[in-house]
Amino acid sequence: MKLRTLLAASALALAAVGVAAPVASAEEVVLKLWSRADRSGPLRAGNILAAAEQLNRMLEAAGSDVRVKIDLFENNAKGYDADALDLLKAFAVEKGPDLYVAAHEWIGAFVEAGYAWNLEEHIKNNPEFYSDMIPALWKAVEYKGQRYGIPQDTEVRMFFYNKDMLRKIGKSEEFIEGLPGMVERGEFTIYDLTDLAKEVVDAGVAKYGLVHRPNVGPDFQMVLASFGFDPYDEAKGKLQASRKALNAYFDWLKYSVDAGVIPSNMTSWSWDSVHAAFRTEQTAFLKHHGIWNVPPQMKARGYKSGEEYFQHIGWLHSPPAEKGGRPANLSHPIIYVVAPQSPHRELAAMLIALASQPYLNTRHAITTGHLPIKYSQLGLPEFRSEGWMLIAGAPMLKYTTFMPNHARVGQFNAIIYKGIQAVETGRLDPKSATDFVLDELAGEIGDEVIILD
Amino acid sequence: MAVEALVTPSGAERWNALAVRARRRRLLTDSLLVGFLVVVSLPIILPYFWMLTISVSAKTGGVESVVLWRACAVLVPAVVAFGLLRLFVEETRRLVLGALAIAAIAVAAVILLVGSDLHLQNYRFLWNPDIVAEIRGKATAEAQFPSVWIAFRNSLALAVTQTVLVLTVSTLAGYYLSRFQFPGRAGFLQGLLVLHAFPAMTLVIPIFLLMYWSGLLDTITGVILVIATLELPFSIFIMKGFFDAVPWDIEMSAMTDGASRRQAFFRVVLPQVRVGMLAVGVFAFIKGWEEYVFVRTLLFEKQNWVMSLYIFWVSEDIMGVDYGIVAAVAVFYILPSLLLYVFCQKFLVQMTLGGIKG
Amino acid sequence: MSSMALRQRVNAALFLGPACLLLFFFFIAPVVVDVFVAFTDMGRTLRINELTTANFERMFTRDHRLGQTLVITFMYVLGTLAIFNVTFGLILALVTTQVPDRIGGFFRSVWLLPRMSPSVIYALLWAWVIDPNERGLLNQILMHTIGIGPVDLMNDHPLLLIIVANGFIGASMGMIIFTSAIRSIPQHLFYAAAADGAGRLAIVRHITLPAIRWPLSFITVYQTLSLLVSFEYIWLITDGGPFYDTTVYALYVYKRAFENGQYAYGAALALILVVIGIALALLMWRFFDMKRLLQEPRIEVH
Repeated sequence: MKLRTLLAASALALAAVGVAAPVASAEEVVLKLWSRADRSGPLRAGNILAAAEQLNRMLEAAGSDVRVKIDLFENNAKGYDADALDLLKAFAVEKGPDLYVAAHEWIGAFVEAGYAWNLEEHIKNNPEFYSDMIPALWKAVEYKGQRYGIPQDTEVRMFFYNKDMLRKIGKSEEFIEGLPGMVERGEFTIYDLTDLAKEVVDAGVAKYGLVHRPNVGPDFQMVLASFGFDPYDEAKGKLQASRKALNAYFDWLKYSVDAGVIPSNMTSWSWDSVHAAFRTEQTAFLKHHGIWNVPPQMKARGYKSGEEYFQHIGWLHSPPAEKGGRPANLSHPIIYVVAPQSPHRELAAMLIALASQPYLNTRHAITTGHLPIKYSQLGLPEFRSEGWMLIAGAPMLKYTTFMPNHARVGQFNAIIYKGIQAVETGRLDPKSATDFVLDELAGEIGDEVIILD
Repeated sequence: MAVEALVTPSGAERWNALAVRARRRRLLTDSLLVGFLVVVSLPIILPYFWMLTISVSAKTGGVESVVLWRACAVLVPAVVAFGLLRLFVEETRRLVLGALAIAAIAVAAVILLVGSDLHLQNYRFLWNPDIVAEIRGKATAEAQFPSVWIAFRNSLALAVTQTVLVLTVSTLAGYYLSRFQFPGRAGFLQGLLVLHAFPAMTLVIPIFLLMYWSGLLDTITGVILVIATLELPFSIFIMKGFFDAVPWDIEMSAMTDGASRRQAFFRVVLPQVRVGMLAVGVFAFIKGWEEYVFVRTLLFEKQNWVMSLYIFWVSEDIMGVDYGIVAAVAVFYILPSLLLYVFCQKFLVQMTLGGIKG
Repeated sequence: MSSMALRQRVNAALFLGPACLLLFFFFIAPVVVDVFVAFTDMGRTLRINELTTANFERMFTRDHRLGQTLVITFMYVLGTLAIFNVTFGLILALVTTQVPDRIGGFFRSVWLLPRMSPSVIYALLWAWVIDPNERGLLNQILMHTIGIGPVDLMNDHPLLLIIVANGFIGASMGMIIFTSAIRSIPQHLFYAAAADGAGRLAIVRHITLPAIRWPLSFITVYQTLSLLVSFEYIWLITDGGPFYDTTVYALYVYKRAFENGQYAYGAALALILVVIGIALALLMWRFFDMKRLLQEPRIEVH
């Protein structure tokens, strides 16, 4: 093709593109949403997108040209703790979002750094959206008495146990079905659980006794609570760590690893392997995870109904450390937060309010196995028909606690996790690990943590 | 004495026998040495080949080795056969025929053994940017990963621009250091040496802060500047060495013919150091293509991702890793480096640093 | 100013200017910034509130991980250097120059491959090879040839793992340098020795090895510095290892700053490393006759 023809053709093509370009006369408000890519909950971010769509429909009906667009950024962090660190780093270099989804206990850190907007006004001004919120959940978004976030969901966590394996080693149906009750009454301790798991593993029925999360997370606080570990001194508003309780917990960990119940390299597994271990019928007897894992379990094993599910799998609290003690559970709400520097912070807050409507929230709760946030959700038909697991999980809330919303709790958890890793891999014995953890806590967190006995 | 023994027929036979024995002994030791090399090089060759086989055969997303072992079962005898062929057959025509025959048998055997397992589905990330959409719902899938072509484009821009920058700056500086005397020259060279050996990685923190304060954070430009600078000491030294080897007469004759210094440089001297520029260019490109630490620290937005970040996140098991796709991305990522390396390796492998003459 | 002097100035600026600019902004300036930040309290918000020496105080009195980190760094550097970078690089150079040229060249290319491939891919391959299940390549080979059960290198021998992984990369540089040194030995020396009746081994001992004495010391010092500071492969393969087992000093610095958000403390730690680096580099200059590098730094392509 001759050069001139080529140039002419290109010019024409460019002109055509220019004309065909969409007429950008409508005003677009773009909000950046940061959410961690959570394999268990695509609607965490999805509900905000749905809220934006709803708002756009209302705007269109009102004849306005303004549209809201959500620019979604999904972070690939391994867990909510890593995600919070990434978020803090992004904010520090002024690349933070307008609104974000975060784990509740990090709210303190965000507020102290100035990245979380005080939502008290917003909540007070919008009773239509917030008056039927379950009150206990507000505690999860409070920092120094003020609310800085809106809860998105909550859950219960449990030790899933494989009933078929117990049948294979000859336990009676009575025992199998009565196990949760025994745990609640304090008749079955956490050491008993290890021994039971050991039985199953030794009989060759399971390859691993207990698998847990392979990275930092709230789960460990749940088991620590069984040993009487209370991470927060409410009166002084500081974190605290009890040497005795920590040491007892590490003792149990070592006991479990030595018994062959917990694999010694548990902390370097991939999430993939952890899920795979409980997916097939033979690999792991116990899995320490949460209620949101139920839908994937059902899908992997092919169970069609709640009855079928409970025939094969059961749920336990974290058993008490000693006979006669109380079991422990932990709820870990995920929350929406608004960045105060955002020029659209009121809009962001309203979108969150829309995203928390019962219909949208129930969709998230049902499909991902989380507990609802509002009383009104409990009456929805989908909830009654498909929410069997949530209805089954609700009574477990009796023994649950939240983690404290202290500004340094993220670091607190990270240090304890390092100690867990040291004990499980055999790098440190329980006493040295306790010394290590307390030493690091004192060194890193300083006087924001109180070391007890 | 010995010479007379040489001249007699039986002496010549003995000499021949000695030669044959010496050759055979040499063959033996050479074979042992080659065997040693093969054994120690296996840990390198095998994993790369494994990655290739996974990328074209993995179906369930797991890491399998069946295809690898079957392929090896065919390839190893083929290579050995080829080696023996080279050793014993001298005539070219028979050599070529023999090689072709071996190749044909090997290909047929491979197809027979593993052909049914091969597929290109793992490469679908090349034309389907939403590789995660099939696993998860739509709402969050789009934001999970950018298209691999964006990462590719960024990597290419980074590597090429950085190479051009390094080449330009180091060539200019190398020439000046080679030809001109100026106060502080010795100190400058000494400083360059120190910087060459200097642990540049320790400066990640202040570089991060500098980038932030100058507004270059999360820009490809910033990363280009950083990486180019870290390559400079090495490159300047190489270029200087090449310029040192170009005799002064060439420039002098050009300048007496009326050319200015700069013209002499461009027209006459530069073509002489083509090889050095090639070496510097290749090293710089490969470094830019593979850079990880600085891009991980300095880049945030997904639109700014480069290939190293892309493959790193694809291989993290957030959404359930599909190792077949990861292997396919890896093969795609390593291909440019590999091609460049294969074509230029003659120069790279034979470079010296410090001409030692006894 | 005369036109010639002006032209000389312009030439200087044109040729040397860009290099000086870049080197100043990205080598000198960061060092200055590092010294400054080390004396502040910069935390994860990147805001500076006060000047303080608390970081150094913490480093010398309260940081109990530091000692362990230093020990690990020492063992890692020594191990990699002694086994791979120097020794194995030498072996490779010797062996590949003894066998016929094309074969030797081929194997040198193979050993250069790890250095030439992107670090993320190299680390990924290692992760797959050492997978503790039967899927891992290493376990497959071990189990089917020697019969040892599945090994978990990452958990049981993490230090060995990083030494080997970094060693493969490190050996290649020594290999190249030694090879070129061997090749620049004049051929007639070899013929003369052979005519005198020297066997292959004797030739190596008396002719080859003396010729590489200087490159040997160069490599040793240079690689020591480079290993002291490298953490990219360790970061990618073990992420500091189970617990702190493979957290070398440089990785420790990085994690403190970018993962815990303690930028000022990280800067203080880095400062120490910078000082050590400069000191070692100057030592290298003084004691290992680096002036040779200055007088005839030549690249020759054969």
